[in-house]
Amino acid sequence: MKFGIFFELSVPRPWDDESEHRLYHESLEQVRLADELGFDYVWAVEHHFLEEYSHCSAPELFLTAAAMQTRRIRVGQGIAVCVPQINHPIRIAERAAVLDLLSHGRLDLGTGRSGTWTELGGFDADPDETKKTWDEFVRVIPRMWMEERFGHDGRSFRMPVRAVLPKPYQKPHPPLWVAVTSPGTEVDAAERGLGALGLSTGSLREYEGKIRTYKRLIRDCEPVGAFVNDQIATVNFLFCHEDEAEGVKTGQRLTGTFNYLASQLLSTREAFPTRSYPSLGLLPGPRAEAARRGDDGGPAESIAIGDPARVTRVLERWESTGIDLVNFLLNAAETVPQAQVLASLRLFAKEVMPRFRREAPSAAAGAR
Amino acid sequence: MPLFGTLDVKSRLADAPLLERLDTEPWELPGAEVLHLLYEIDDAAMQTLLPPALHPTIPPTCHLVVTRVPESPAGPFVLAQTRVGCRAGAFQRGLVTRAFCDSPRAASELRHRFGFDVRPARVRLTPRYDRVEAEVALDGRRVLACELVDPLAIGQQDVRYVDVLNLARVVREGEERARLVQVDAVYAIHRADRGRPMLHAFEADAWRAEGLIPRWAVSGSFSRADLTLPRLRFLVDPLRPAFQATERV
Repeated sequence: MKFGIFFELSVPRPWDDESEHRLYHESLEQVRLADELGFDYVWAVEHHFLEEYSHCSAPELFLTAAAMQTRRIRVGQGIAVCVPQINHPIRIAERAAVLDLLSHGRLDLGTGRSGTWTELGGFDADPDETKKTWDEFVRVIPRMWMEERFGHDGRSFRMPVRAVLPKPYQKPHPPLWVAVTSPGTEVDAAERGLGALGLSTGSLREYEGKIRTYKRLIRDCEPVGAFVNDQIATVNFLFCHEDEAEGVKTGQRLTGTFNYLASQLLSTREAFPTRSYPSLGLLPGPRAEAARRGDDGGPAESIAIGDPARVTRVLERWESTGIDLVNFLLNAAETVPQAQVLASLRLFAKEVMPRFRREAPSAAAGAR
Repeated sequence: MPLFGTLDVKSRLADAPLLERLDTEPWELPGAEVLHLLYEIDDAAMQTLLPPALHPTIPPTCHLVVTRVPESPAGPFVLAQTRVGCRAGAFQRGLVTRAFCDSPRAASELRHRFGFDVRPARVRLTPRYDRVEAEVALDGRRVLACELVDPLAIGQQDVRYVDVLNLARVVREGEERARLVQVDAVYAIHRADRGRPMLHAFEADAWRAEGLIPRWAVSGSFSRADLTLPRLRFLVDPLRPAFQATERV
């Protein structure tokens, strides 16, 4: 099982001139440490207008900085929003290729469509269309990378034949993923040969069913790219401390803050009646799990907070589901001081990570 | 921490509904028709319309809701509400600024049982095949005129309504106190349409929503549903953050 860190870049009020600057640079410090400690991935989201919850509107720039300061860790755009009012597909392909070149072939590109009215409304995008445009984008982006010249006349955009440049460093192209939030998107991922990023189901048991479905369907998929990225990832929280009670207490502060900020936003489901958005907003699964009590009255058995022994038990449960990658949210709204975040990462790498390193971490499928 | 409301609650209490009892019986309202329009509003009013207990939604919103009830313990009525979209802690809510009802008897019951700040007015909801029209007239002035244009059927489960909060005075332990009264209406939706919202008239002051300017149409729906206004379960102290100040009835 592989491990990643996952950034929303949340900035708590009250804001001052240093708030965002400090957060970005503390986050880069976390990335550098994660690289040294052997984490496999760093992911950054693309969100717009999500006050406090996420000030990460240009993840490819953050990840470029991350790549320039690290040597080994893969950089994952989690995700590029495949909605034409927000990103033109040519620009997604171009920017991703540049990041792949600058990172010496360490890019994974996640795709998705945004889950909030706050974002879709801000760009005057039609929620009924986003699934369709996502499907179009994921089929053309690999071709833009692989074909010397590319032209298209489709549903959401058209272009005469042009050379989309530069081409990515990884050949035939970087691994592709899709963010899985709404029920059934794991099926979309499997059918297209895409990695499933951050499934947001409720419990471990529900998750197991989704993984079985994904692994079964992807065997017979028709990949949209040149290869199948058979990987399934989940998002979790991480706070690891020598003392279990302290680890749980601080971890619950982290998860509670994250939930609170996410709840303030206007989900598409809440604002716009449509079958296209059956789930409630951002990371609903991890949020529900974080709010749930476990059988012993403590945090849910699926949330990776506590001392190394507890975090290990949690991750062993995840490993037993067949998950390939766990990505961790390390902080929310600077609830956890930077020194504690770094200490938590170090403790996790020392006490927990080795137990899951039975095999040497493999480079993502398709990497050069 | 998200922004909090800044409404001067005291200024609203003098004529706020008074609930002497909180053990009101539920109301079953079969065959109701619900027109619901959602707008983004000018951010200048997003905090001033909410009490300190609540957070504005991001972006700030208002719900314009007109409900025709053919059958109720108080007889048939049409009720129009303006609600400010908000969060009580992490929960989705709509704070009713004011409501109007065409039935004086129903208005009185809704006020004293559930805490709606209801005033009598001429309220009309007219479903047609190409549109659903609603209008509220007060002393000859149109304080609300809106439409849902080109309704098209959607799934019943695609429509969601948020629970309502009413600012009222309640009697707790023998004392009169300001509270937000939560009404968790239950909707069993039989049919739902979605259409384009259009707003022709909205007089914010009449709705006691000073400064509320609907700027951007988000969505509109029209549903037919069996509606239940249940027994009251929760109250919130309007002056303290809802996550600290929610009381079970």
